Amino acid sequence: MLKRALAIITLLIIGYWLAQGLTGVPFGQDRMLVGQYYLNNVIKQTGSVNAVTAIVVNYRGFDTLGEVTVLFIASTGVGALLWRRKKKRTARTEGSVVLTTGARLLVPFILLFGVYIFIHGHLTPGGGFPGGATIATAFLLLYMAFTQYEIPHGAFEKTEGVAGMSYVLVGLIGLALGGYFLYDWIWQQWHWGINDVGRLFSGGFIPIIYTLIAIKVGTELSGIIDNMLKEEVRE
Amino acid sequence: MNGQYASLLIALPLISAFFVPLIKGAGEKAVKGYLVLITTLQTAVAAWVFQTVYTTGKPIIVMAGAWKPPVGIDLYLGHFAALFVLIVAAVSFMTAVFSYVADIKPPADKYVMLSLLLMLGATGMIATGDIFNLFVFMEITSITAYALTAYNKTGEAAEASLKYMILGGIGSSFFLIGLTLIYGSLGTLNMAQIAQLAGSMNPTVAQVGLSLIIFGLAVEAELFPLNAWAPDAYQAAPYAVAVMFSAFVVKAGLYAMVRLLYLMQTVKSWHSVLSLLIAMAVLTVVVAEFAALRQRDVKRMIAYSSISQVGLIAFALALGTRAGVDAGVFHMINHAIVKALLFLGVGYVGVKLGGTSIEDFRGLGRRMPLTAFTLTIGSLAAVGIPLFNIFWSKIRILVAGIEAGYTWGVALILGASVVEAVYYIRFIHAMWFTGEGERIGEGISMSLILLFLAALVIVIGVYPQYAWSLAQKAGNDIFNVGQYIKNVPLMPLTGVGA
Repeated sequence: MLKRALAIITLLIIGYWLAQGLTGVPFGQDRMLVGQYYLNNVIKQTGSVNAVTAIVVNYRGFDTLGEVTVLFIASTGVGALLWRRKKKRTARTEGSVVLTTGARLLVPFILLFGVYIFIHGHLTPGGGFPGGATIATAFLLLYMAFTQYEIPHGAFEKTEGVAGMSYVLVGLIGLALGGYFLYDWIWQQWHWGINDVGRLFSGGFIPIIYTLIAIKVGTELSGIIDNMLKEEVRE
Repeated sequence: MNGQYASLLIALPLISAFFVPLIKGAGEKAVKGYLVLITTLQTAVAAWVFQTVYTTGKPIIVMAGAWKPPVGIDLYLGHFAALFVLIVAAVSFMTAVFSYVADIKPPADKYVMLSLLLMLGATGMIATGDIFNLFVFMEITSITAYALTAYNKTGEAAEASLKYMILGGIGSSFFLIGLTLIYGSLGTLNMAQIAQLAGSMNPTVAQVGLSLIIFGLAVEAELFPLNAWAPDAYQAAPYAVAVMFSAFVVKAGLYAMVRLLYLMQTVKSWHSVLSLLIAMAVLTVVVAEFAALRQRDVKRMIAYSSISQVGLIAFALALGTRAGVDAGVFHMINHAIVKALLFLGVGYVGVKLGGTSIEDFRGLGRRMPLTAFTLTIGSLAAVGIPLFNIFWSKIRILVAGIEAGYTWGVALILGASVVEAVYYIRFIHAMWFTGEGERIGEGISMSLILLFLAALVIVIGVYPQYAWSLAQKAGNDIFNVGQYIKNVPLMPLTGVGA
């Protein structure tokens, strides 16, 4: 009882202190120091009409490389901890007619929608992360509908690795051509798509990177699902 | 060579980790050899960076995407980062050799990937010049650390990892809220610019933001009261992972904490945050030393000892004086060497004899004389006996503490050091004066590494001048914020509300 009272009092003190801090940063009064620069220069410097994407992939691309790595670690960690010499699916009940028919019908469209999201990342809201996650849901649906379904695990893992390597390679090509890691050589050096701003073929290396990220995220999340659904079989 | 190639420090481990799935078919030995190869390359790159920075005396600023800070993200490889990136790479190389010799539970390919990424995360945390990027690298480091803690797949490993994950998750969210407060009031994420503008911050916001960041990083830096995960994690993790945790993961957390602390020294509530950190540091030392005394397992005992040393470093760095920072950095270097030596030695015994409880160490002087000898040197150094490296840094920390007026802190730390001497001498006694046993063969590569580290301990102990000058330069890099701001080529921006 005393312990609980002490905990509550401590929480109240910390809460009050936090609230004091938060009131010092009034909501809605944005400090547009760096933000304004992005808004003023985004199209000229990156060729992407979606400022958020330009910041995520180009201006702060280094962070995104890190975020991709975080997801990679999550999937590697799950793979390491759930590793068994031999694993198999053990689900017993087949999905209902509605689920199996729906899955057959929907999977291509979900995949198509995922591709749409990441290909248009530099034009519309979205990009590689949501696109990849959408693609992974298609595989999740297949897993739920069919007890025997399995992704080609080894191939997915290799694709994941290749996509990650290609991302770093795009950055290293920038280092070789422009002298800076993750330098947007397609836009700033080759000036590709300079007359197509706002259309599909523009935005420098953003569409390339987002495609790689989507492939990576899609295979990674599918791999996590696969790892979690399978169970060890003993000989 | 162009300084921008220092970005290879990040690019190399990353691309190598992504490459592992493609070669995992080649078998366990090949994958482990690959880890040795990549860490060797990383050490070479880090040595080049170190050499460049220390000969020119100027930091290397890597600008990702050619964007000038604060628009883009920069890596700041100054004297501190250049030195510690080299330490990270070198220790990773040693653990890679250790893993090559020792048995690693399958899947070895995943282990190799995670080791590379842990090295990457710590390197990034030390090198980055952007506070959000720091958060990203902190996530990389900590999530890798959770996975590696649980890697042995035993019940206690899972428990330790879960504890770590919960505390780490809380720490990360604290850090993120603190970061948001700073970004909300300054409109920039670049560390140099934050330092430039910090004086204009509302003192309450600055105090709350900075304290949240310190609490968030205290999980990684193993400071009381957020270090409850650490002893369990050290004990449950594979031997090589414990080496990495103690030698550089905790250092990366400490560094990040102190760097941010000093960058914001112009805020008006700065000294209250310093006192908070000093209290945490002293408590860390005292609690950990007394906990270490009770341990029957040597690995766990050394883990507690490592935590107490980290508290000592945090104490020195939080003094707010030039002498304190220099001494703290010096102790960071020495601690990295000694704890790498101790954990590698204990791990090697664990691999050869199948356990690390104090009983396994009885008669080690007869069974594995070389390992026992290097462990003895490491233990004597850890106690702080003259002619061993830690003596010099410890004494400088204590002097700096008295100069800064924290006599009570120094007194508590000295008392705790006596406790430390007790359990290390007990350990040495167990190795040399008890037990019997047959001689066991010691591998050449591990013997060389252990002897190299032991030699470093003694060389620095006898001739501390060179290491001390490195520490002074690295300490100046942290302490002299004006120089830090000047070194970063900030793009002049005019914004709304700045």
